Amino acid sequence: MELTDFFTDYTLRTITLGTAILGAICGMLGSFAVLRKQSLLGDAISHAALPGIALAFIITGVKDANIILIGALISGLIGTFWIKSIVKRTRLKNDTALGLILSLFFGFGMLLLTFIQKMPNANQAGLDKYLFGQAATLVEEDVWVMATVTGISLIVLLLFWKELKLLLFDADYTKTLGFNTRFLDILITTFIVLAIVLGLQTVGVVLMSAMLLAPAAAARQWTNNLGIMIFLASIFGAFSGVFGTAISASQNNLSTGPVIVLVAATFVLISFIFSPGRGLLFRKIRFRKNRRELHLKKTLTFMHHIVKEHENISRPHAIRILNNFQGFTRKTLNKLEDKKFVRIEGNQWAMTQEGYDEAESIYNQLGSEND
Amino acid sequence: MTSAQLEIQLIGAIVAIACAIPGTFLVLRKMAMISDAISHSILPGIVLGFFITQDLNSPLLILLAALTGVITVILVEFIQKTGLVKEDTAIGLVFPALFSIGVILIAKNANDVHLDIDAVLLGELAFAPFDRLVVDGMDIGPKSLWVIGSILLITLTLLLLFFKELKLSTFDKGLAATLGFSPAILHYGLMTISSVTVVGAFDAVGAVLVVALIIAPAATAYLLTDNLKHMLFLSCCFGIFAAIAGYWLANVLDASIAGSMSTVLGIVFLLVYLFAPKQGVFSVFFKERQQRKEVSLLVFLLHLQNHQEAEERHVNHLREHINWQKVQAKTVLELASKNNLIYISDNIVSLTDKGQEFTDEALLYITTNKVTAIEELKERFFLFRG
Repeated sequence: MELTDFFTDYTLRTITLGTAILGAICGMLGSFAVLRKQSLLGDAISHAALPGIALAFIITGVKDANIILIGALISGLIGTFWIKSIVKRTRLKNDTALGLILSLFFGFGMLLLTFIQKMPNANQAGLDKYLFGQAATLVEEDVWVMATVTGISLIVLLLFWKELKLLLFDADYTKTLGFNTRFLDILITTFIVLAIVLGLQTVGVVLMSAMLLAPAAAARQWTNNLGIMIFLASIFGAFSGVFGTAISASQNNLSTGPVIVLVAATFVLISFIFSPGRGLLFRKIRFRKNRRELHLKKTLTFMHHIVKEHENISRPHAIRILNNFQGFTRKTLNKLEDKKFVRIEGNQWAMTQEGYDEAESIYNQLGSEND
Repeated sequence: MTSAQLEIQLIGAIVAIACAIPGTFLVLRKMAMISDAISHSILPGIVLGFFITQDLNSPLLILLAALTGVITVILVEFIQKTGLVKEDTAIGLVFPALFSIGVILIAKNANDVHLDIDAVLLGELAFAPFDRLVVDGMDIGPKSLWVIGSILLITLTLLLLFFKELKLSTFDKGLAATLGFSPAILHYGLMTISSVTVVGAFDAVGAVLVVALIIAPAATAYLLTDNLKHMLFLSCCFGIFAAIAGYWLANVLDASIAGSMSTVLGIVFLLVYLFAPKQGVFSVFFKERQQRKEVSLLVFLLHLQNHQEAEERHVNHLREHINWQKVQAKTVLELASKNNLIYISDNIVSLTDKGQEFTDEALLYITTNKVTAIEELKERFFLFRG
């Protein structure tokens, strides 16, 4: 397969476009799920959609992607609102409610799927692609549906941008300002369910939640700005979709779902380690640097302590007397010399005027911070 | 009923008990979703273990896979500790990635691996009786029965040995730690047991449905009781019931046993969720309505006590003064007069002696803020019976 195939081959172009749009909408709406601490809700919703898929097929008897999507949507919504009502009305906690609905709906869905498999109806083959997703089955019509939904959710997002942003960061304040938080909550949840349902065909029921989470979690590492985060998450999502589909298309016998998820997970891993603001690598480097600086300052103030007893601050002292002081090494001493805070003569050191002033200013800073 | 049918039900019931015990503690410790994560992420462990041992029921494979489960927990906790993402996002990121690796491993080695995706999700309970354990040429029952039976035995032993510690650390982590029980050991112990159980049950009921067997019985039992021992017992009962009823449902529909087991669990949960005596939706609804009525009555009585003027106590005035709907005003008025708290003459409402006394005491209780006292007060005045 050549790279140019993506632009010339009709099927491949459709699939690529489809997964790219899917990734973008998942990243966009997933940002809200992640920031609202509803990450696992996506997992529950996608599993809860399975009985809807099966029931839609049993009732209508046809394997029309759109009818199945509507079935999945209804079933996903029922699952979501049942979870919310369990948490609100009983003593069961959020995680229990999620796991409960997820596994029970999925079990029911599997019961129906195995039931369908035994039905004397040749039409049923291929429903199990909804388990792990098969991007190859995307047709142009599906892409149009995805594009329309993405467009609508983008418009809604822009219309309610201020309210949604406020709801994300301070739900109580939003309520006191008189916004209908219940409506906003239902709005955003419905769109998340919609995004999940759209992805079922490509990524599958089992792994759809990761598609929602991973791009948003990766984007979160690079920025503190909601708009930028959503934008980045869409990009990450789109790339995961495209790369994942390309890799799985080049191999036999590989569902797209797992591959897309692994690509997205790679984005997350890279972001976790290398993001400049929050990443683990730079955090470690910053930590080291701060510690070194602290050691330097400690040594300098200790020297200052010795020096200020004498009239002549530049009087040499033996390096030996520093040895008992923690944080002191030959290296820090050399560094102090580089900065011209001390002079080293043989195995003696002497503080310069600059070093003395610097140490004084450290003391003053500490003093003013304590006030 | 053939012996194979009996064996399937027996395996199902034992799997259900083995899952319900750790499930109870996971639900109480608010870690139910961890079981979901474990059940997905043991897949690569199972596949790799299978490459090594070539036997799905080998103890080594179970240990390897369980280790993957514990690693998942550690990985999730590590990500949580970095603070890069919120706690549940960490779970949601780790297990799909590991599960994907497992699925890809299976797909890439489809010819060598005697595992397929359907088995991963659903398990093969129906085939369990055909894989027999033969010792010295003697057939001593299905292999998976022995596997899950030993796991259950270990779980039960540990449960009996550490019941007190588990109970304490579940309900009061701080106290458990001050008394010298290491929360970390108990936590990872529970995680290990859960992982081993999930791996053992995985073969029978598959990755997702094992979650149903872990969470659903415990969650259902939690709606019915406040006692840990009762909860353990009840969740085991629900599990056994689901295993047996699920088997027969699957038999009738000619569908997946694991799927119908969790469907039965779902129906049981729905019934308990709606009709449980204290926690159920209906009883909570009636309780809330009753409380609303009680509050209205109190407001009404306090209003009467505060106003001596006749016009303030006129029946029609009350409605607009306390801003009630007509029906609500009528119910409260009826309730009050039925309980002999008020009498009405010429459409003017007045407190009776009993009403006066009750209102005084109620006011005292409200101002001194004694929470339980009002119940005792209600008993004493024979209130709210109508």
